[in-house]
Amino acid sequence: MTVRADGDDALVAAVATGDREALAELYRRHAPWLVLRLSRRCADPGTVEEVVQDTFVAVWKGAGRFRADGEVPAWIWGIGVRRLISRLRSRPMAPTDARAEEVMVSAEDEVLVGVEHGDLGQALGRLSPELRAVVQATVLDGLTTREAATLLGIPQGTVKTRSARARRELREALA
Amino acid sequence: MSTGWHADPVVLSRYAAEELDDVRASSLEAHLLTCDRCRDALAPLTDAPKLGAIWHAIETALDAPQPGIVERAMQRLGVPEHVCRLLSATPSLRVSWLLAEAFALGMAAIAANQATGTGLAGATLFLFLVTAALAPVAGVAAAFGPGVDPTYEVGLAAPMRSDRLLFIRASAVLGASLAIAGVAALALPGTGWTLALWLLPALGLTLATLAVATWVRPVWAALGVGVGWVVLAAATAVAITEPLIVFHVWGQLLSLGLIVASAAVIAHRRAAYEGRIPA
Repeated sequence: MTVRADGDDALVAAVATGDREALAELYRRHAPWLVLRLSRRCADPGTVEEVVQDTFVAVWKGAGRFRADGEVPAWIWGIGVRRLISRLRSRPMAPTDARAEEVMVSAEDEVLVGVEHGDLGQALGRLSPELRAVVQATVLDGLTTREAATLLGIPQGTVKTRSARARRELREALA
Repeated sequence: MSTGWHADPVVLSRYAAEELDDVRASSLEAHLLTCDRCRDALAPLTDAPKLGAIWHAIETALDAPQPGIVERAMQRLGVPEHVCRLLSATPSLRVSWLLAEAFALGMAAIAANQATGTGLAGATLFLFLVTAALAPVAGVAAAFGPGVDPTYEVGLAAPMRSDRLLFIRASAVLGASLAIAGVAALALPGTGWTLALWLLPALGLTLATLAVATWVRPVWAALGVGVGWVVLAAATAVAITEPLIVFHVWGQLLSLGLIVASAAVIAHRRAAYEGRIPA
């Protein structure tokens, strides 16, 4: 595929007119991070591949509805994460338990945290993995309670209580 | 939006390897949404063959024929994709077939309506009721079996029982036929139960066709049942000089009996659908 210098907005506009090359370029730019970001939320590689496929097919079909006021990557992510959730809803599977196993924190990591994140990063880091997963789904991924519940494989009520607890703990940590 | 800050290559490679902890991964993900430079730096670290395979699947999906309006509507109603495909390949569920059926029954109903009060009133009503009862029989005859079904051989080879395929299609055809006849019946002059007199005979004849189809081709089964029905209806109408006699109480009871008997035959002999329908 040839590399195009157009901006994302122009590419989406071209996709809307049926330009397959423009879709290929969008895919080249945005599929890599989408695959990685989805993989962190779904442990099954097959599902992630299907969701990425669904997402770009949806981009192809829905490009005409894209309004330039939103950023293209955020738009693509919005499609992708919702496709993931509808897949999980129709075919429930064990939620990724990558969050349960805590990665050993090396000294190098600690330095990186200090450099890249202020107090908020550390406060987030001190949350239990369950609470952090809820914060990530609801705040950072922008999901509704219901969507987060499907993604994480827990009841909606649990999402709400964990979200409230996470807020309280963050508030205390940042006070 | 650019903050001037960019992710460290080490962070990116650890993120790509799914080794980065949640907090920094979340932070990086938020950054990636707004930074094409970091996205480009991340791209070479991902699984290129996998991305190629997904792209190939996307192109295949875009090149695939689009399902028709009816098929998409069914899918939206929650009908599984493979069932939609099976149904949309049914000859007697094609729009042209359904239109023809609607036209035939509509004309019969209009004729019956026009003839109200004339000497032909009973005869035209009789014509409509006989035709309405036959419509699903014709539909079922053209719904499966060698010669009429373009997917017949595919169906035999598919990992799905033939009787199941047949019942799915027969129910859909029956439903469509009954709906069309039901709407057409609204144009009839009569009211109340006259409008639904054909319903039990239609069910009975359809099931009888399916039952006979365990021995012979569905087309022959439908032909036999259909001719038998017309002969019976006409003969009784002439003999007893009361056109609708075949739809009266004993006719309805006979239909019920036919439904029960046919269902029993089908239940007993359904294995015969499995490729034993004589070609």
